Amino acid sequence: MQSIRVLIVRFASLFRKQRLDQDLEDELQAHIELAVEEHQRRGLPAEQARALAVREFGGVTQTRENYRVQRGLPFLESIWHDIAFGLRQLRKNLGFTAIAALSLALAIGANTTIFSIARQLLYERLSVPHPDQLRMLRWNGDSSVVIHGMWGDFDSRPQGGMTGSIFSYPVYQQLRAHNNAMRDLFAFKEDGVNATVRGTAQRMAVAMISGNYFAGLEVRPQIGRTIQPSDESVPGAGTVAVISDGLWDRAYDRSPSALGQTIKVNGTQLTIIGVNPKGFTGAKDVQTSPDLFVPLTMQPLIDPKGRNGTLLQANDLWWLNVMGRLRPGVSEAQAQTALGVQLQADIRATMTMHAGDTMPKLVLAPGNRGLHFADGTFKKPVNVLLALTGFVLLLACANIANLLLARGAERQREMSVRLALGATRKRLLRQLLTESLMLAAGGGAGGLVLGYFVRNAIPGLMTNAWERTRLNIPFDWSVFAFCSAVTLLTGILFGFAPAWFAARAEVSSSLKGSAQSTTRRRKGASGKSTVAFQIALSMLLVVGAGLFVRTMWALSAVNIGFNPDHLILFEIQPPAARYPPGKDVQLHERLEERIAALPGVESVSLGSEPYIANNYENSDFLPEGESFAQDRQQGRGEAEFNNLVGANFFHTMQIPILAGRSFGAQDTATSAKVAIINQALALKRFPGVYAIGKRFRADRDPRSPWITIVGICANTHYASLRKEPPAQFFLPYVQQRDVGGMVYQVRTPMAPAAFAPELRQVVASIDRDLPVIDLRTQREQMDATEQVQRALAALTAGFGLLALALACVGIYGVMAYSVAQRTNEIGIRLALGAHPAHVRAMVLRESLWIACVGIAAGLLAATGLTRLVRSMLFGVGPYDPATMAIAALLLLVVGLAASWVPARRAAGIQPMEAIRHE
Amino acid sequence: MPEHKSDVLQGTLDLMVLKTLESMGALHGYRIARRIEQVSANALSLNQGTIYPALLRLEQRGWVAAKWGISETGRRARFYSLTRSGQKQIQKETENWERIAATMARFLASSR
Repeated sequence: MQSIRVLIVRFASLFRKQRLDQDLEDELQAHIELAVEEHQRRGLPAEQARALAVREFGGVTQTRENYRVQRGLPFLESIWHDIAFGLRQLRKNLGFTAIAALSLALAIGANTTIFSIARQLLYERLSVPHPDQLRMLRWNGDSSVVIHGMWGDFDSRPQGGMTGSIFSYPVYQQLRAHNNAMRDLFAFKEDGVNATVRGTAQRMAVAMISGNYFAGLEVRPQIGRTIQPSDESVPGAGTVAVISDGLWDRAYDRSPSALGQTIKVNGTQLTIIGVNPKGFTGAKDVQTSPDLFVPLTMQPLIDPKGRNGTLLQANDLWWLNVMGRLRPGVSEAQAQTALGVQLQADIRATMTMHAGDTMPKLVLAPGNRGLHFADGTFKKPVNVLLALTGFVLLLACANIANLLLARGAERQREMSVRLALGATRKRLLRQLLTESLMLAAGGGAGGLVLGYFVRNAIPGLMTNAWERTRLNIPFDWSVFAFCSAVTLLTGILFGFAPAWFAARAEVSSSLKGSAQSTTRRRKGASGKSTVAFQIALSMLLVVGAGLFVRTMWALSAVNIGFNPDHLILFEIQPPAARYPPGKDVQLHERLEERIAALPGVESVSLGSEPYIANNYENSDFLPEGESFAQDRQQGRGEAEFNNLVGANFFHTMQIPILAGRSFGAQDTATSAKVAIINQALALKRFPGVYAIGKRFRADRDPRSPWITIVGICANTHYASLRKEPPAQFFLPYVQQRDVGGMVYQVRTPMAPAAFAPELRQVVASIDRDLPVIDLRTQREQMDATEQVQRALAALTAGFGLLALALACVGIYGVMAYSVAQRTNEIGIRLALGAHPAHVRAMVLRESLWIACVGIAAGLLAATGLTRLVRSMLFGVGPYDPATMAIAALLLLVVGLAASWVPARRAAGIQPMEAIRHE
Repeated sequence: MPEHKSDVLQGTLDLMVLKTLESMGALHGYRIARRIEQVSANALSLNQGTIYPALLRLEQRGWVAAKWGISETGRRARFYSLTRSGQKQIQKETENWERIAATMARFLASSR
């Protein structure tokens, strides 16, 4: 308390300085006068009385000084002086200040932006209380694990076998019933549905959840109530829904009257009972929230699957995500062991184990970020970007350090004078560091502003063109803290070395006129090595940019095998509850016919998968006379990529038929089964044989009819541009028992926006509850598939350009300084008869030498680092000599161009002036 | 004047000032300095000026209050007086000082 009071009093005194100084003067004056009076009263003459008074008092000046130190906050005051002086210095060198602050702002802005994106994509946690208590149940199995039927989140493991975070409903119920290891286990499944909200049909994400889901996550609604265990008691019961804050905002304008309204979900009417809090995204994902939360018991109604349409009794299909909170007092390892034992018992109780089947092993995975899906897509590119922005920042620091070094040498005289006048070196160091921290603060403020405006543009680069969900990158205290920390760090990083050198100035030598030449060598050398370092960093950034840009070029130069221009795509997903097998095929036939009749439509087709969308499906492919066992022995695949397509598919996509015929009106549900294969499949499965007329089966049922190959088409890319066109076969969708959702391809010169209204009308005239999903062009689809790659190319190219600009400034600064320092020497050379061209060549040679050293170091570092991004490259190797050569050449040119002006200035020096100047 | 003068120990000057104000009431700086010299019988080597930073320190801590007034000789001077918390501080410092003095005395006695 006492010390705080003192601090406040002392701080307050800073603002009344003059007044207090006057008081002190008066008081000291009074003291002396009082003493003089007293001495005079004792009989001393006036002169002696005064002399004695002053002697008894001690040093007046010293007292005054001690008093002032005691009164104010000398440390704060001297910092204030440093800042004021620093401001004057920065204003005096406005050009330098502008360049330094701008380059710092760009570098810090880039770092802040990438950091805020990385934090959101890779580190943001679920918006629920205590997310770190959450654990996701997962299992690992070897290649003969008993689990075969899976829907959802599973993957093959690198060492073989499967891993998944999905369970069957009966297993979940058993686990939950016998669970003592964790607090309550709750379950959820995210799915897509057609929902009609206030008369508008749209595609929506839905979370089907167990009744204890909200209680387990400890989430309360904004309004209304959440789903309760009683809503989930009986299959088919609980026609209620909790909606997301986003849907509430979009469709109901945040009106409380939304409660009690109904939404038609895949044909079933659900009543809205509550609205989730803003920011809640469900348990699965941190970025976006499903719009609807419905009881798990709705599954048979809204998305029938499996036998009788229900998964609630299905033992063999694993599909449900299970999560829980750790129980206090039970360690994670104990919980994992207990649940693992329980899982094996539950599997034995619900599934039939065949000989050779193995048990999965249960593991608890962190649940604080849901399934962290974003990791797979974004982890590597975001880390690459973090590294590159780090390099850019380092580069900017080196740049400023360099300029400061050069300026520090100019200010050596000032430093010497201040040292001679009694300033300590520590004081000088502090002064110079204050200046660079102020510079950093300027750059940091600029960077913060830049980051604020750019942060939402970059996720825009990372999401596709047609979806309404946009990543929203928050800009909060953690971003601000990061930015401040980076700023402080850079200020110290680029400020310390120059300040150190400058504060080491010798009093005597610098005050003598010839000081410049004695210290120039050392200073020059350190400046040049910083420039070489800068060039090496630039080299890294330019090579990185080159590789990603070339990847982009290579991707856009790929011959995909069909014409992606003027092609509109959209999807129709008939819900199985309303369109049972057979009915769905008929629906697609009607739609195909009606859309083909629309004005402006050249041709229309449909397929089971969109191309270049990272989607694929495959099925068994067994030519007549072969067996699966034999195929397996000869190392041939059992399954091939396939696509169920409309009769006009090849015409619409403009895929040439190389032999035989295309599909046509003669291929109907009742006619003989036919297929078209692509050239790659013909070569792979019918080598040296004329494939047309051959027959095959696409399943393992020996009773199913043979399918006859009637045509061979050219190869096309399938799921992505990166893999070679795979072997594929095509079947008419009209010959299938059921097809479910299909993607439509419409060749039309119209833009999607112009085409949409009529299309929606046609679809609505057939079924009002059927949404047109993801209307986009094939080009947009291809861009979206490589969206992250495109963002990476654009950003790294930007960083590369920034690096070049910074290198340019760095080289110019150092060479210009070097020439200015050597004015005297160059003047003498010219006076002694050196040709101006020689002088110019001398300067250029010097910078060329620096550039070469930097480029060599950069090449070395690049070959070490580009390996790490090999998997992200396409059509270009990590050691691509062309990219390396072009980057080297570019930096060489930049180096020469930046030193051209200083070189000309050197050649233009007038010998007489230069010598007299000294 | 005695042959030997002691330096003023850090912190003791504060207590001397407080004690002076306690016994004499409000005083200006010169009178405080003179009083300390008289009481110590000129045994301390004290620059009169050093009491001003000390007075400021006491004022900042709230132990003394200062205001301008007129001296006995009609001169404008700054008068210092003890505050309530200054009173308490005297008690604290006195106890502290006596404890130290007693301890020192025991040490000096035992080592003799």
